[in-house]
Amino acid sequence: MRTYVIRRLLYAIPTLVAIATITFLITRLAPGDPIRLFTFGATDLTREDIEALRAAHGLDKSLPEQFALYIVNAAQLKFGNSILYHKDAMSLVLERLPNTLTLAVTALVLQLVIGVPLGVLAAVNRGKWIDNAVRFFGVIGHAVPAFWFGLMLIIIFSVTLRWLPSQGVLTVGKDVWDIGDRLKHLIMPAFVLALAGIANYSRYLRTETLDVIRQDYIRTAEAKGLASKTVFMVHALRNALIPVVTALGGVLAFLISGALVIEQVFTWPGVGQFTYAAARQKDYPVITAGVMLGGMLLVLSYLIRDIAYAVVDPRIKVK
Amino acid sequence: MKQQSRTLRLLVALLGTLALVATACGPTGPTGGGTAAPDEKPVAGGRLIEGSFSDIKTMNPMLVADVPSSTVTGKIYDTLFSADPKNGELKPNLGKWTISSDSLTYNWEIDPKANWSDGKPVTGEDYLTALKLVALSKLTVRKSNFQDIEGWKDFVDAKATTISGVKVDSTDPKKFSVKFAKVFCPALVNAFGSSAGPMPTHVFGKYTAAGQADAIDKAPENTAPTVASGPYVFKEWRKGDQVILTKNASYFKGAPLIDEYVYKIVADATVLAAQLKTGELNYGTVEPKDLADMEAQQNLKVFKYQALSYTYIGWNVKSTTAPALQDKRVRQALAYGLDMDAVVKSILFGQGTKMVAHHPPASWAAPGAGLNQYPYDKAKAEDLLKTAGYTKGADGVYAKEGKPIEFSIVANSGNKTRETLLQVATEQYKAIGVKVNPKLEAFETMVDKLTTGNQEIQGWIIGWSLGLEPDPYGIWHSTQIPNPAAKTTGFNFGAFTNADFDKAIETGRSGNCSQAERKKNYETFNKILNEEQPYMFGFSPNTLLVTPQNLRAIDPGTFSATWNLEKWWFKQ
Repeated sequence: MRTYVIRRLLYAIPTLVAIATITFLITRLAPGDPIRLFTFGATDLTREDIEALRAAHGLDKSLPEQFALYIVNAAQLKFGNSILYHKDAMSLVLERLPNTLTLAVTALVLQLVIGVPLGVLAAVNRGKWIDNAVRFFGVIGHAVPAFWFGLMLIIIFSVTLRWLPSQGVLTVGKDVWDIGDRLKHLIMPAFVLALAGIANYSRYLRTETLDVIRQDYIRTAEAKGLASKTVFMVHALRNALIPVVTALGGVLAFLISGALVIEQVFTWPGVGQFTYAAARQKDYPVITAGVMLGGMLLVLSYLIRDIAYAVVDPRIKVK
Repeated sequence: MKQQSRTLRLLVALLGTLALVATACGPTGPTGGGTAAPDEKPVAGGRLIEGSFSDIKTMNPMLVADVPSSTVTGKIYDTLFSADPKNGELKPNLGKWTISSDSLTYNWEIDPKANWSDGKPVTGEDYLTALKLVALSKLTVRKSNFQDIEGWKDFVDAKATTISGVKVDSTDPKKFSVKFAKVFCPALVNAFGSSAGPMPTHVFGKYTAAGQADAIDKAPENTAPTVASGPYVFKEWRKGDQVILTKNASYFKGAPLIDEYVYKIVADATVLAAQLKTGELNYGTVEPKDLADMEAQQNLKVFKYQALSYTYIGWNVKSTTAPALQDKRVRQALAYGLDMDAVVKSILFGQGTKMVAHHPPASWAAPGAGLNQYPYDKAKAEDLLKTAGYTKGADGVYAKEGKPIEFSIVANSGNKTRETLLQVATEQYKAIGVKVNPKLEAFETMVDKLTTGNQEIQGWIIGWSLGLEPDPYGIWHSTQIPNPAAKTTGFNFGAFTNADFDKAIETGRSGNCSQAERKKNYETFNKILNEEQPYMFGFSPNTLLVTPQNLRAIDPGTFSATWNLEKWWFKQ
């Protein structure tokens, strides 16, 4: 297993180099110069002020020189100082990571807690109204754009009913450790982020459960006289959950990247919102730090997925 | 990504507006005036919550280059002078000053009561510390503000351990003088303003020691100030969400009455307006489209005053691809041919002022009278085109030597005000026989093209936010014309030049620095602009500041909304 993990981590290096290269090229080749944008309208500045700032961020060098320096620094997880914040870009992004992880992990929990039982319920009640309702929800959950759904929830629960806050992570005046207030802020964005996943898991679980309960070993278990609850929980559900577990790692990465839109709608101060704002201002160091962090989390989550897959299904050997 | 966000924001705005329209049904509320009734006694307490759309970036004044950071930092670090909120005239604040007869030396005396929040006095040494920090920082863009101070360059080049032009009185540490090598009228604002507020030597002095080059850029106090000279002290920065300040009990003008100031980030203007109504925010500026809704709220009041900015249509007066724009008479025709009063009425719901020159009427530098107001007059516009040698063709477009008056105007996509102005200009110019090709581009693309002198640009719509110092050199002097061949950038995008004009600008910054004399120069400057019309000067919008009805003592103006923040209080 250790060799496998090391080998997978080594495989990740070219992936991350590719992400770093593509990010560099996209940011540098897109129209818009960060220093000109940053100093636009500052009419009391001289050309010398502006050029000094350009030099301080290494943007006075040629593009190949900038790239070489960028790759060497990126290998040491150094992305330079943010042009806007005058601070180390990666530390700025990491400051926002706990908020994004809170959102993503809560959404993941909601997906499993709601999606799995729904799928099982549909499978057990195949052909009945519950099954039809879950399948209908499965389609709708996929089709509804997350930002639109978020806005609808805001209008209903924040603007009209005034039950839940629509913006931020904490009410003004509340203590940082006020968990209740944090949960109130978390409910809507986490649910919106989880929606597509809930629909996904309910459909997966329905299909997998239906497939598993037709297998010979389930019939054998029933024939041995085991209680139907035991047959379902120990034999059927465990096997039906394998594809769910395999999807988990990738889902976490998907949730972190998907949080970008949700963070905008709910002004959730996470990595997505921060990187997006940086992209609008051409803050190269923050953009690259944000994208690279996302890339690293993606690679890590796929690794976790593969390891989890091996753990859940002993028949699968790590080669 | 960008497109997706615009769609998203548009939807938020649309849906939010619908929701607001559905809930807005109260009677018309009173507007303006935060004065307390004679029998009202100020009460301490409460929390001022200001809504905004983006987070602050830093809390070190010399690194500040954005409005949010300036908003918060200005409450922590007070400045040596303050501006009259209504006309921008400079008044003593943390210090008072005199200027030597040769206009080279500024003598300052800091208020005897001015202390840092930890009890230590604010001194002349603290001003010197601020200057040293600017000199040592690699990330500040403010160095040129101090370049004329004697000894500045030697300190920047590490040839001296202090700035020789700054002398702190050895007998009275509250007194100091600053000597400049040459007369520079904007020096008062630039070298003693917000980017040079005294900085506490006992906190930041350690970053000015020898061998500490750029240590200030990494100082933890940049994001968590430990002491304050302003009315509020830093408490907490919840990144991306809130900045919390608490009152400075030892503030030299008296402890603020409101306990806490919170800078709260919200998604957009629609959310901000909604939260002002619910009371989640109690201080914020709204867009003209939300004005009627705000005025309908009995619990809110709206302050309306002219902003120190304007939105304009610029002309490339040296364009070879649109030669008609080189002719002053054509540009004057374009001024007569666009009904800016109607634009203000329709786009800004009447909350703005038509502009015909550079300095907005609220500025002391604006000429009092004598400017052509260019009232909307289609016939006069066409007469001017005819005088310029153009004749109307069968297609309704004026042309000379077979070449029609045709040019493009570009605006930044996503800015609804500018997009609408572009649409109106295209239609109204068509009516006077001028063909406009409207174009929308990303803001960053426009900035690149404009500042580098890309000749694709013929006409453009953008805006200027002006500062306390009215010096127009950076925007209008001929040295500020971008030159693609020399790869120099600048803000005189339209390449307008005129010898008298340059002279007026130069004398306004380096001649007699009295306000009356400078005003004369700016009168000449504005009259030339008014005559030459290198811009269709567009409009200056109103700021629409919304607060609760029970907020007392607030009296905002164009040049400052929070000048007497420490006196504000909430009537219970």
